[in-house]
Amino acid sequence: MLFLASRQWSRGKRHGTFALSKANKMKTKQTIAIIGATGNMGSAISQSLAKGNYRLLLHAPHEDKLTTLVHTIKAAHPSAEVESIDCSKQASWEADIIILAVPYAAEKEVADKIREVANQKIVISIANPLNATYNGLVTDATTSAAEELQKLLPNATVIKAFNTTYAADFAQPVIDGKQVDAFVAGNNEDALQTVSDLVATAGFNPIVAGDLSVSRTLEGMQLLLIQLTMKYNYNWVAGWKVLHN
Amino acid sequence: MYSAYFDNFTKKVPLTPEERELIQSHLSVKKIRKKQYLLQEGDVCKSIAFVEKGMLREYSLDEQGGEHIIQFASEGWFISDMYSFITAEPATYNIDAIEDSELVMISRSSHDYLLTNCPKYETFTLQLITGAYLAMQKRLNSTIAASLESRYESFMALYPHIAQRVPQHMIASYIGLTPETLSRVRRRIASNKG
Repeated sequence: MLFLASRQWSRGKRHGTFALSKANKMKTKQTIAIIGATGNMGSAISQSLAKGNYRLLLHAPHEDKLTTLVHTIKAAHPSAEVESIDCSKQASWEADIIILAVPYAAEKEVADKIREVANQKIVISIANPLNATYNGLVTDATTSAAEELQKLLPNATVIKAFNTTYAADFAQPVIDGKQVDAFVAGNNEDALQTVSDLVATAGFNPIVAGDLSVSRTLEGMQLLLIQLTMKYNYNWVAGWKVLHN
Repeated sequence: MYSAYFDNFTKKVPLTPEERELIQSHLSVKKIRKKQYLLQEGDVCKSIAFVEKGMLREYSLDEQGGEHIIQFASEGWFISDMYSFITAEPATYNIDAIEDSELVMISRSSHDYLLTNCPKYETFTLQLITGAYLAMQKRLNSTIAASLESRYESFMALYPHIAQRVPQHMIASYIGLTPETLSRVRRRIASNKG
Protein backbone atom coordinates (compact mmCIF):
# COMPACT_ATOMS: atom_id res chain seq x y z
CA MET A 1 0.00 0.00 0.00
CA LEU A 2 1.26 3.40 -0.86
CA PHE A 3 0.11 6.81 0.24
CA LEU A 4 -3.52 5.88 0.29
CA ALA A 5 -6.44 7.93 1.43
CA SER A 6 -7.74 7.92 4.90
CA ARG A 7 -10.99 6.08 4.93
CA GLN A 8 -13.16 9.14 5.01
CA TRP A 9 -16.13 7.17 3.84
CA SER A 10 -17.45 4.33 5.84
CA ARG A 11 -18.91 0.99 5.17
CA GLY A 12 -22.65 0.98 4.93
CA LYS A 13 -24.23 -0.42 8.04
CA ARG A 14 -25.76 -3.32 6.19
CA HIS A 15 -24.56 -5.92 3.78
CA GLY A 16 -21.07 -4.53 3.44
CA THR A 17 -22.00 -2.04 0.74
CA PHE A 18 -20.11 1.21 0.45
CA ALA A 19 -21.55 4.68 0.40
CA LEU A 20 -21.15 5.89 -3.17
CA SER A 21 -21.38 9.60 -2.51
CA LYS A 22 -18.33 9.51 -0.28
CA ALA A 23 -16.17 7.40 -2.57
CA ASN A 24 -12.60 8.41 -3.23
CA LYS A 25 -12.05 11.65 -1.37
CA MET A 26 -8.32 11.20 -1.63
CA LYS A 27 -6.43 14.18 -3.05
CA THR A 28 -3.19 12.48 -4.01
CA LYS A 29 -3.69 11.09 -7.48
CA GLN A 30 -3.07 7.37 -7.62
CA THR A 31 -1.57 5.77 -10.69
CA ILE A 32 -3.31 2.72 -12.11
CA ALA A 33 -1.63 0.44 -14.64
CA ILE A 34 -4.10 -1.42 -16.83
CA ILE A 35 -2.44 -4.41 -18.49
CA GLY A 36 -4.45 -5.61 -21.45
CA ALA A 37 -6.14 -2.23 -21.82
CA THR A 38 -7.40 -2.72 -25.37
CA GLY A 39 -9.44 -5.87 -24.74
CA ASN A 40 -13.19 -5.63 -24.22
CA MET A 41 -12.94 -5.46 -20.46
CA GLY A 42 -9.66 -3.54 -20.33
CA SER A 43 -11.03 -0.85 -22.61
CA ALA A 44 -14.30 -0.57 -20.68
CA ILE A 45 -12.47 -0.34 -17.33
CA SER A 46 -9.99 2.24 -18.69
CA GLN A 47 -12.75 4.46 -20.06
CA SER A 48 -14.82 4.32 -16.89
CA LEU A 49 -11.92 4.96 -14.50
CA ALA A 50 -10.89 8.04 -16.51
CA LYS A 51 -13.78 9.79 -14.73
CA GLY A 52 -12.01 9.47 -11.38
CA ASN A 53 -9.03 11.15 -9.74
CA TYR A 54 -6.58 8.64 -11.16
CA ARG A 55 -3.68 8.67 -13.54
CA LEU A 56 -4.00 5.81 -16.02
CA LEU A 57 -1.13 3.98 -17.69
CA LEU A 58 -2.47 1.75 -20.42
CA HIS A 59 -0.56 -1.21 -21.75
CA ALA A 60 -1.45 -3.67 -24.50
CA PRO A 61 0.43 -5.41 -27.28
CA HIS A 62 -1.54 -3.63 -30.03
CA GLU A 63 0.00 -0.20 -30.33
CA ASP A 64 -2.49 1.22 -32.85
CA LYS A 65 -5.49 0.12 -30.79
CA LEU A 66 -3.85 1.61 -27.70
CA THR A 67 -3.32 4.98 -29.40
CA THR A 68 -6.97 4.99 -30.49
CA LEU A 69 -8.11 4.18 -26.95
CA VAL A 70 -6.03 7.00 -25.45
CA HIS A 71 -7.54 9.43 -28.00
CA THR A 72 -11.06 8.19 -27.26
CA ILE A 73 -10.57 8.66 -23.51
CA LYS A 74 -9.06 12.13 -23.90
CA ALA A 75 -11.91 13.19 -26.19
CA ALA A 76 -14.49 12.07 -23.60
CA HIS A 77 -12.54 13.33 -20.56
CA PRO A 78 -10.26 16.21 -21.63
CA SER A 79 -8.79 16.57 -18.14
CA ALA A 80 -8.03 12.86 -17.73
CA GLU A 81 -4.40 11.94 -17.17
CA VAL A 82 -3.98 8.93 -19.41
CA GLU A 83 -1.14 7.63 -21.50
CA SER A 84 0.00 4.47 -23.22
CA ILE A 85 3.15 2.69 -22.12
CA ASP A 86 4.90 -0.02 -24.09
CA CYS A 87 6.18 -2.15 -21.22
CA SER A 88 4.04 -3.89 -18.61
CA LYS A 89 6.86 -3.84 -16.07
CA GLN A 90 7.44 -0.09 -16.44
CA ALA A 91 3.70 0.52 -16.15
CA SER A 92 3.48 -1.57 -13.00
CA TRP A 93 6.61 0.05 -11.56
CA GLU A 94 4.97 3.49 -11.76
CA ALA A 95 1.62 2.21 -10.55
CA ASP A 96 0.02 2.14 -7.13
CA ILE A 97 -2.63 -0.27 -8.39
CA ILE A 98 -2.29 -2.82 -11.20
CA ILE A 99 -5.30 -4.17 -13.08
CA LEU A 100 -4.67 -7.41 -14.97
CA ALA A 101 -7.27 -7.22 -17.73
CA VAL A 102 -5.93 -10.30 -19.47
CA PRO A 103 -7.47 -13.76 -19.89
CA TYR A 104 -6.77 -16.33 -17.21
CA ALA A 105 -4.43 -18.21 -19.54
CA ALA A 106 -2.19 -15.12 -19.88
CA GLU A 107 -1.90 -14.36 -16.15
CA LYS A 108 1.25 -16.38 -15.59
CA GLU A 109 3.17 -14.67 -18.38
CA VAL A 110 2.21 -11.21 -17.12
CA ALA A 111 2.90 -12.16 -13.50
CA ASP A 112 6.42 -13.26 -14.44
CA LYS A 113 7.07 -9.87 -16.04
CA ILE A 114 5.74 -7.68 -13.24
CA ARG A 115 6.60 -9.78 -10.15
CA GLU A 116 9.52 -7.66 -8.97
CA VAL A 117 7.61 -4.39 -9.21
CA ALA A 118 4.25 -5.68 -7.94
CA ASN A 119 5.54 -6.22 -4.39
CA GLN A 120 3.07 -4.90 -1.81
CA LYS A 121 0.87 -3.36 -4.51
CA ILE A 122 -2.79 -4.03 -5.16
CA VAL A 123 -3.20 -6.31 -8.17
CA ILE A 124 -6.76 -6.70 -9.40
CA SER A 125 -7.75 -10.03 -10.92
CA ILE A 126 -10.72 -9.63 -13.26
CA ALA A 127 -10.34 -12.99 -15.04
CA ASN A 128 -12.89 -15.77 -15.19
CA PRO A 129 -11.20 -19.10 -15.90
CA LEU A 130 -13.78 -20.29 -18.42
CA ASN A 131 -13.23 -23.34 -20.56
CA ALA A 132 -13.46 -23.13 -24.34
CA THR A 133 -17.16 -23.97 -24.53
CA TYR A 134 -18.28 -21.80 -21.59
CA ASN A 135 -19.86 -24.76 -19.82
CA GLY A 136 -17.38 -24.95 -16.98
CA LEU A 137 -14.25 -23.51 -15.35
CA VAL A 138 -10.74 -24.79 -15.97
CA THR A 139 -9.80 -24.30 -12.31
CA ASP A 140 -10.80 -27.02 -9.86
CA ALA A 141 -13.22 -26.34 -7.04
CA THR A 142 -10.50 -25.77 -4.43
CA THR A 143 -9.12 -22.66 -6.08
CA SER A 144 -9.88 -19.68 -8.34
CA ALA A 145 -8.14 -17.46 -10.90
CA ALA A 146 -7.57 -14.89 -8.15
CA GLU A 147 -5.99 -17.37 -5.74
CA GLU A 148 -3.77 -18.73 -8.52
CA LEU A 149 -2.64 -15.17 -9.27
CA GLN A 150 -1.87 -14.64 -5.58
CA LYS A 151 0.39 -17.74 -5.70
CA LEU A 152 2.17 -16.25 -8.72
CA LEU A 153 2.59 -12.88 -6.95
CA PRO A 154 3.12 -13.88 -3.32
CA ASN A 155 4.14 -10.39 -2.12
CA ALA A 156 1.35 -8.53 -3.89
CA THR A 157 -2.15 -7.92 -2.54
CA VAL A 158 -4.46 -9.63 -5.01
CA ILE A 159 -8.06 -8.46 -5.04
CA LYS A 160 -10.89 -9.94 -7.10
CA ALA A 161 -13.06 -7.32 -8.79
CA PHE A 162 -14.83 -6.47 -12.05
CA ASN A 163 -15.33 -10.17 -12.88
CA THR A 164 -19.13 -10.29 -12.58
CA THR A 165 -19.76 -7.32 -14.88
CA TYR A 166 -19.81 -7.44 -18.68
CA ALA A 167 -17.82 -4.89 -20.67
CA ALA A 168 -21.06 -3.33 -21.95
CA ASP A 169 -22.27 -2.81 -18.36
CA PHE A 170 -19.61 -0.14 -17.84
CA ALA A 171 -21.38 2.13 -20.32
CA GLN A 172 -24.67 1.25 -18.68
CA PRO A 173 -24.13 0.40 -14.98
CA VAL A 174 -27.84 0.95 -14.30
CA ILE A 175 -29.93 -1.80 -15.93
CA ASP A 176 -33.71 -1.88 -15.75
CA GLY A 177 -33.56 1.03 -13.31
CA LYS A 178 -31.25 -0.78 -10.89
CA GLN A 179 -27.60 -0.09 -10.26
CA VAL A 180 -25.59 -3.23 -10.93
CA ASP A 181 -23.75 -4.71 -7.94
CA ALA A 182 -20.06 -5.45 -8.34
CA PHE A 183 -18.41 -7.82 -5.91
CA VAL A 184 -14.96 -7.40 -4.43
CA ALA A 185 -13.00 -10.11 -2.61
CA GLY A 186 -9.62 -10.13 -0.91
CA ASN A 187 -7.66 -10.51 2.31
CA ASN A 188 -6.59 -6.93 3.05
CA GLU A 189 -9.09 -4.45 4.45
CA ASP A 190 -7.35 -1.31 3.15
CA ALA A 191 -7.01 -2.79 -0.32
CA LEU A 192 -10.67 -3.86 -0.37
CA GLN A 193 -11.66 -0.30 0.40
CA THR A 194 -9.36 1.15 -2.25
CA VAL A 195 -10.74 -1.24 -4.88
CA SER A 196 -14.31 -0.50 -3.78
CA ASP A 197 -13.49 3.15 -4.58
CA LEU A 198 -12.57 2.10 -8.11
CA VAL A 199 -15.75 0.07 -8.49
CA ALA A 200 -17.84 3.03 -7.32
CA THR A 201 -15.97 5.35 -9.71
CA ALA A 202 -16.91 2.99 -12.55
CA GLY A 203 -20.56 3.46 -11.57
CA PHE A 204 -21.29 0.13 -9.91
CA ASN A 205 -22.44 -0.60 -6.39
CA PRO A 206 -19.45 -2.21 -4.66
CA ILE A 207 -20.11 -5.10 -2.29
CA VAL A 208 -17.26 -6.68 -0.35
CA ALA A 209 -18.06 -10.36 -0.63
CA GLY A 210 -15.36 -11.82 1.58
CA ASP A 211 -11.79 -13.05 1.54
CA LEU A 212 -9.94 -14.08 -1.60
CA SER A 213 -11.32 -17.63 -1.55
CA VAL A 214 -14.79 -16.17 -2.19
CA SER A 215 -13.43 -15.54 -5.70
CA ARG A 216 -14.39 -19.18 -6.41
CA THR A 217 -18.05 -18.26 -5.93
CA LEU A 218 -17.69 -14.97 -7.84
CA GLU A 219 -16.05 -16.68 -10.80
CA GLY A 220 -18.78 -19.35 -10.74
CA MET A 221 -21.43 -16.60 -10.67
CA GLN A 222 -20.06 -15.16 -13.88
CA LEU A 223 -20.02 -18.59 -15.49
CA LEU A 224 -23.73 -18.86 -14.64
CA LEU A 225 -24.46 -15.34 -15.91
CA ILE A 226 -22.73 -16.11 -19.22
CA GLN A 227 -24.71 -19.34 -19.58
CA LEU A 228 -27.96 -17.51 -18.83
CA THR A 229 -27.05 -14.70 -21.20
CA MET A 230 -26.58 -17.18 -24.05
CA LYS A 231 -29.65 -19.19 -23.15
CA TYR A 232 -32.04 -16.25 -22.75
CA ASN A 233 -30.37 -13.79 -25.11
CA TYR A 234 -29.61 -10.97 -22.64
CA ASN A 235 -27.50 -9.38 -25.39
CA TRP A 236 -24.44 -9.13 -23.05
CA VAL A 237 -25.99 -6.38 -20.96
CA ALA A 238 -26.77 -8.11 -17.69
CA GLY A 239 -25.55 -8.08 -14.11
CA TRP A 240 -26.14 -9.21 -10.58
CA LYS A 241 -28.25 -7.34 -8.06
CA VAL A 242 -28.75 -8.47 -4.49
CA LEU A 243 -32.24 -7.52 -3.37
CA HIS A 244 -32.55 -6.82 0.30
CA ASN A 245 -34.67 -4.81 2.67
CA MET B 1 15.73 -1.84 -7.87
CA TYR B 2 16.09 -2.35 -4.10
CA SER B 3 19.90 -2.35 -4.38
CA ALA B 4 20.50 1.24 -3.25
CA TYR B 5 18.13 0.64 -0.34
CA PHE B 6 20.06 -2.41 0.82
CA ASP B 7 23.45 -0.78 0.23
CA ASN B 8 22.32 1.99 2.55
CA PHE B 9 20.94 -0.53 5.04
CA THR B 10 23.94 -2.85 5.18
CA LYS B 11 26.37 0.05 5.56
CA LYS B 12 24.68 0.66 8.90
CA VAL B 13 23.50 -2.85 9.80
CA PRO B 14 24.76 -6.02 8.05
CA LEU B 15 22.07 -8.50 6.97
CA THR B 16 21.99 -12.23 6.31
CA PRO B 17 20.44 -13.27 2.95
CA GLU B 18 17.34 -14.50 4.84
CA GLU B 19 16.90 -11.16 6.63
CA ARG B 20 17.30 -9.32 3.37
CA GLU B 21 14.67 -11.50 1.72
CA LEU B 22 12.24 -10.95 4.58
CA ILE B 23 12.68 -7.18 4.46
CA GLN B 24 12.47 -7.05 0.66
CA SER B 25 9.18 -8.95 0.68
CA HIS B 26 7.74 -6.02 2.66
CA LEU B 27 9.05 -3.29 0.37
CA SER B 28 7.51 -1.86 -2.74
CA VAL B 29 9.18 0.01 -5.59
CA LYS B 30 7.65 3.01 -7.26
CA LYS B 31 8.65 5.35 -10.04
CA ILE B 32 7.38 8.90 -9.88
CA ARG B 33 7.78 11.61 -12.47
CA LYS B 34 8.85 15.20 -11.96
CA LYS B 35 6.09 17.37 -10.43
CA GLN B 36 3.94 14.39 -9.40
CA TYR B 37 2.79 14.24 -5.83
CA LEU B 38 3.67 11.38 -3.54
CA LEU B 39 1.49 12.90 -0.85
CA GLN B 40 -0.90 15.80 -0.67
CA GLU B 41 -1.83 17.61 2.50
CA GLY B 42 -5.07 16.23 3.95
CA ASP B 43 -4.47 12.61 2.91
CA VAL B 44 -3.00 10.14 5.37
CA CYS B 45 0.67 9.39 4.77
CA LYS B 46 0.73 5.62 4.38
CA SER B 47 4.40 5.06 3.57
CA ILE B 48 7.98 6.03 4.20
CA ALA B 49 9.83 6.48 0.92
CA PHE B 50 13.54 5.89 0.32
CA VAL B 51 15.00 7.67 -2.70
CA GLU B 52 17.05 5.33 -4.92
CA LYS B 53 17.28 7.88 -7.70
CA GLY B 54 16.07 11.42 -8.19
CA MET B 55 14.94 14.09 -5.74
CA LEU B 56 11.80 14.95 -3.79
CA ARG B 57 10.84 17.77 -1.47
CA GLU B 58 8.46 18.04 1.45
CA TYR B 59 6.75 21.34 2.15
CA SER B 60 3.87 23.03 3.88
CA LEU B 61 1.64 25.67 2.32
CA ASP B 62 0.74 28.84 4.21
CA GLU B 63 -2.57 30.65 3.91
CA GLN B 64 -1.25 32.77 1.04
CA GLY B 65 -0.18 29.65 -0.84
CA GLY B 66 3.52 30.17 -0.03
CA GLU B 67 5.64 27.03 0.06
CA HIS B 68 7.87 26.28 3.04
CA ILE B 69 10.24 23.44 2.30
CA ILE B 70 11.12 21.41 5.37
CA GLN B 71 13.15 18.73 3.60
CA PHE B 72 14.79 17.71 0.37
CA ALA B 73 15.45 14.04 -0.26
CA SER B 74 17.92 12.90 -2.87
CA GLU B 75 19.63 9.53 -3.37
CA GLY B 76 20.00 7.63 -0.11
CA TRP B 77 17.50 9.68 1.90
CA PHE B 78 14.15 8.86 3.43
CA ILE B 79 11.10 11.09 3.21
CA SER B 80 7.66 10.92 4.83
CA ASP B 81 5.19 12.94 6.85
CA MET B 82 6.13 11.05 9.99
CA TYR B 83 3.40 12.56 12.16
CA SER B 84 0.72 11.42 9.74
CA PHE B 85 2.44 8.06 9.19
CA ILE B 86 2.56 7.29 12.93
CA THR B 87 -0.84 8.70 13.93
CA ALA B 88 -2.85 8.06 10.71
CA GLU B 89 -4.04 11.69 11.01
CA PRO B 90 -4.27 13.73 7.78
CA ALA B 91 -0.88 14.93 6.52
CA THR B 92 0.06 18.58 7.01
CA TYR B 93 2.82 18.40 4.41
CA ASN B 94 3.00 17.84 0.67
CA ILE B 95 5.66 15.67 -0.94
CA ASP B 96 6.38 15.96 -4.65
CA ALA B 97 9.13 15.03 -7.07
CA ILE B 98 11.59 17.68 -8.24
CA GLU B 99 13.09 15.17 -10.68
CA ASP B 100 11.92 11.87 -12.14
CA SER B 101 12.58 9.53 -9.22
CA GLU B 102 12.72 5.88 -8.20
CA LEU B 103 11.58 5.06 -4.70
CA VAL B 104 11.50 2.14 -2.31
CA MET B 105 8.45 2.35 -0.08
CA ILE B 106 7.41 0.71 3.14
CA SER B 107 3.86 0.78 4.48
CA ARG B 108 2.88 1.29 8.10
CA SER B 109 1.80 -2.33 8.54
CA SER B 110 5.06 -3.67 7.04
CA HIS B 111 7.09 -1.18 9.08
CA ASP B 112 5.35 -2.32 12.27
CA TYR B 113 5.72 -5.98 11.34
CA LEU B 114 9.46 -5.65 10.74
CA LEU B 115 10.01 -3.59 13.91
CA THR B 116 8.50 -6.48 15.88
CA ASN B 117 9.89 -9.40 13.93
CA CYS B 118 13.25 -8.27 12.58
CA PRO B 119 15.67 -6.87 15.22
CA LYS B 120 18.07 -5.64 12.50
CA TYR B 121 15.28 -3.55 11.00
CA GLU B 122 14.64 -2.06 14.42
CA THR B 123 18.33 -1.21 14.84
CA PHE B 124 18.40 0.38 11.39
CA THR B 125 15.29 2.42 12.13
CA LEU B 126 16.74 3.60 15.44
CA GLN B 127 19.88 4.79 13.66
CA LEU B 128 17.81 6.60 11.04
CA ILE B 129 15.67 8.38 13.59
CA THR B 130 18.70 9.32 15.68
CA GLY B 131 20.37 10.79 12.59
CA ALA B 132 17.23 12.67 11.63
CA TYR B 133 16.93 14.04 15.18
CA LEU B 134 20.49 15.35 15.18
CA ALA B 135 19.98 16.96 11.78
CA MET B 136 16.74 18.52 13.01
CA GLN B 137 18.49 20.05 16.05
CA LYS B 138 21.19 21.49 13.85
CA ARG B 139 18.61 22.91 11.43
CA LEU B 140 16.58 24.40 14.26
CA ASN B 141 19.62 26.09 15.77
CA SER B 142 20.65 27.42 12.39
CA THR B 143 17.16 28.83 11.84
CA ILE B 144 16.83 30.59 15.20
CA ALA B 145 20.43 31.55 15.95
CA ALA B 146 22.54 31.90 12.82
CA SER B 147 22.96 34.94 10.57
CA LEU B 148 21.34 34.82 7.14
CA GLU B 149 24.76 34.51 5.53
CA SER B 150 25.77 31.56 7.65
CA ARG B 151 22.40 29.85 7.12
CA TYR B 152 22.95 29.99 3.39
CA GLU B 153 26.62 29.06 3.58
CA SER B 154 26.02 26.09 5.84
CA PHE B 155 23.28 24.82 3.50
CA MET B 156 25.68 25.10 0.56
CA ALA B 157 28.42 23.35 2.53
CA LEU B 158 26.17 20.57 3.85
CA TYR B 159 24.21 19.89 0.69
CA PRO B 160 26.25 20.95 -2.35
CA HIS B 161 24.71 18.14 -4.45
CA ILE B 162 21.20 19.45 -3.71
CA ALA B 163 22.15 23.07 -4.31
CA GLN B 164 23.26 22.14 -7.82
CA ARG B 165 19.98 20.43 -8.66
CA VAL B 166 17.25 22.69 -7.27
CA PRO B 167 16.28 26.26 -8.22
CA GLN B 168 17.32 29.16 -5.96
CA HIS B 169 13.77 29.88 -4.83
CA MET B 170 13.57 26.40 -3.29
CA ILE B 171 16.84 26.92 -1.43
CA ALA B 172 15.42 30.23 -0.18
CA SER B 173 12.29 28.46 0.98
CA TYR B 174 14.30 25.77 2.77
CA ILE B 175 16.36 28.27 4.76
CA GLY B 176 13.34 30.46 5.44
CA LEU B 177 14.07 33.48 3.25
CA THR B 178 12.24 35.13 0.39
CA PRO B 179 13.98 34.70 -2.98
CA GLU B 180 14.72 38.46 -2.95
CA THR B 181 16.40 38.29 0.44
CA LEU B 182 18.42 35.28 -0.67
CA SER B 183 19.65 37.25 -3.70
CA ARG B 184 20.80 40.08 -1.41
CA VAL B 185 22.49 37.58 0.92
CA ARG B 186 24.34 35.98 -1.99
CA ARG B 187 25.46 39.38 -3.27
CA ARG B 188 26.75 40.33 0.19
CA ILE B 189 28.68 37.07 0.44
CA ALA B 190 30.14 37.57 -3.05
CA SER B 191 31.23 41.14 -2.33
CA ASN B 192 32.77 40.16 1.03
CA LYS B 193 34.77 37.49 -0.71
CA GLY B 194 35.74 39.80 -3.53
